[in-house]
Amino acid sequence: MRHDPAMGAQPHDWTRRSALGLLPTLGLAACARSRAPEPLKFWAMSYEGDYSPMLMPAFTAATGIPVDVQSLPATAAHEKLLTAQAGGAMPDVLMLYTGWVQEFATIAAIAPVPSLAMVADLFPGVLDATRVGGRDFAVPWSVAPQVQFYRRDILARAGYPEPAGDWDGWLRMGHAIKRQRPDDFVFMLLLNWPDMLITMLGQTGATMLRDHDTRGNFQTPEAGAAFTYYARIFAEGLAPKALSTEIQDPVAAFAQGYFAIWPTGPTTMLDLHRRAAEIPAERWATARLAGPHDVGAVSGLSTSLCVSASTPRPAEAWALVRHLSSPASELRYQTMIGNLPARLSAWTSPQLGAPILAPFKAQMRFPATAPKVIEWERIKLEIQFAAERVVRNVQTIPQALAGLDTRVDQLLAKRRALVEAGTLA
Amino acid sequence: MTRQERAAWLFSAPVLAIIALVFVLPTALAMALSVTDYSIYALADWANLRFVGLGNFIDLFSTPLFWRAIGNTALFALLGVPMAIGASLAVALLLNDATVRWKPLWRVLLFAPYVTSIVATAVVWRFLFNERSGLINRALATVGAAPVDWLGNPHTSIPAILIFVTWKIFGYNMIVFTAALSAVPQDLMEAARLDGADRWGRFRHVTLPAIGPTLLLAAVMSVAGFLQIFAEPYVMTLGGPAQSTTTILYFMFDEGFKWWNLGQASAVAFVLFLMILALTMVQTRIGRRYEWL
Repeated sequence: MRHDPAMGAQPHDWTRRSALGLLPTLGLAACARSRAPEPLKFWAMSYEGDYSPMLMPAFTAATGIPVDVQSLPATAAHEKLLTAQAGGAMPDVLMLYTGWVQEFATIAAIAPVPSLAMVADLFPGVLDATRVGGRDFAVPWSVAPQVQFYRRDILARAGYPEPAGDWDGWLRMGHAIKRQRPDDFVFMLLLNWPDMLITMLGQTGATMLRDHDTRGNFQTPEAGAAFTYYARIFAEGLAPKALSTEIQDPVAAFAQGYFAIWPTGPTTMLDLHRRAAEIPAERWATARLAGPHDVGAVSGLSTSLCVSASTPRPAEAWALVRHLSSPASELRYQTMIGNLPARLSAWTSPQLGAPILAPFKAQMRFPATAPKVIEWERIKLEIQFAAERVVRNVQTIPQALAGLDTRVDQLLAKRRALVEAGTLA
Repeated sequence: MTRQERAAWLFSAPVLAIIALVFVLPTALAMALSVTDYSIYALADWANLRFVGLGNFIDLFSTPLFWRAIGNTALFALLGVPMAIGASLAVALLLNDATVRWKPLWRVLLFAPYVTSIVATAVVWRFLFNERSGLINRALATVGAAPVDWLGNPHTSIPAILIFVTWKIFGYNMIVFTAALSAVPQDLMEAARLDGADRWGRFRHVTLPAIGPTLLLAAVMSVAGFLQIFAEPYVMTLGGPAQSTTTILYFMFDEGFKWWNLGQASAVAFVLFLMILALTMVQTRIGRRYEWL
């Protein structure tokens, strides 16, 4: 080894530069020593994500645990969460749309609920969707059935104090409005928004999957009836043939009367209240969605709270879930973003007695049930693609339904193989 | 191994290691994935993973949407490459003219769209393309044309996105062409002028041969770029209407990242790789024939 005389001869003398070089180390040491406990990570989508930080100070004050909230855009949340699970980067607590719970429980991303008390006092029916293999995997947070938001002034001018509750009546009312406002539309059914069509399929009694949910079952009279009705709304000029990318500001379009009836969920109330200058509260109201003969079961985008299976701090994570899903927090959330509490006892509060909420309250007791397969989210989109092809005259209804069966069979091939092998119940 | 060779290997080793780590290894892994049925079930339990051989490819070729995506992508490339390169070349020729003043300013202005955020510009262009209130349809109305539902009609959605893409990317090749044009020999140009060659003749026989290699490079890059088009349809139309703007890469993204069918998605990536390789080889051959390479 060579000896470097320059290095060995001089003792190290402190220059300003070497002292400065130590500064980052000091900073790191300071971080390690003085910080409060690591924050819990919480991910939520859409308005729930945006407004969650306001629910956290009460939790931090009571437990001393800070919470770091990340808001995910709803359109990219599914892939973000799957990637997080695959990469081992899941948050401690996360919100899931209730329809996703089955999928995330199957890939062992979320932990089962540790105590029955957490899933007591809930709206009947909401627990069915979050129960996988007999165990509860999520605490329902909000129930969000779709209702029709309608323009009272436009409907009144057409002679309707409130919207019709059956399909034939809905079309008649649509034409009455269209006669008065030929340049505008009546219904707002986005061609890439499957919830309305799925609701219609459920209402006609279509069982969309067969053979233990391993094959598509769309070439049935019930599915045909739902598709026919859905396509008629567009063919008769009552709804714009548009995707969500084209209606960039639906609230403004609703305010301008571009459409008079908007089937959507409770958080739309927040949008409408925020923009009361454009559309005063007396101009709109809500009613239950029309069904083939009468109002019926409706699907929606309810939300649930889950704890990651890989969290190192399960007790604290469940404490946060308990806080967020308490009746008091859910009521606070209702005033902030319009979300409707899943806890039954919250509904005794006078705050939920407002007439605008009555249709939601009635509808909440009739949630539509979805097939419990992890491919369901994707199948919903395929159903909507098939309907879009019909609406745009690319295919006839029998062609679209046959194509849908083939496609769904293809998507369920892996599930079919696993069910046949007995690996999957 | 001589000392020189050893030194050469030593110096190239870091780069080779990085290439092996971030390019060769992932490509090999993706190819390995493409012969398995890796899906969300495999994410749940590795025991569900099976070797399927060419099964993914057979599945893919029997999926109508995949063929639709290939068709859409081909249309994007077929219309888009001439549009984008033509626009770049035309603007570069205009800017190259001696009579144009404030050249640097023009260059910056025309290059600006290329470096602007795609999401922000897409929002603006979605307003421009709006059927009722969009500026484009208003301009068409002044000349008496009927309004076009640009992004809502499956037949006009690809042209509409191409207009947006051309506007967004032509600046890059414009700069490249400007550099190439400055190297066109002026004495040849003057000789051609004295011999009575007209504007087109001078462009065809003097300018074009001089910028040939640049043109070929731009064509190769544009073809590869258009075959991988994804972000523009994603932000403008989400692949719609009626899946008329779903491209190969969009299809791959949906399969792989949205639904976690990574086996299937890797098969798509492999097919796309072969397509780009084949096209590039054809372009190279054309280039050789004209002695541009």
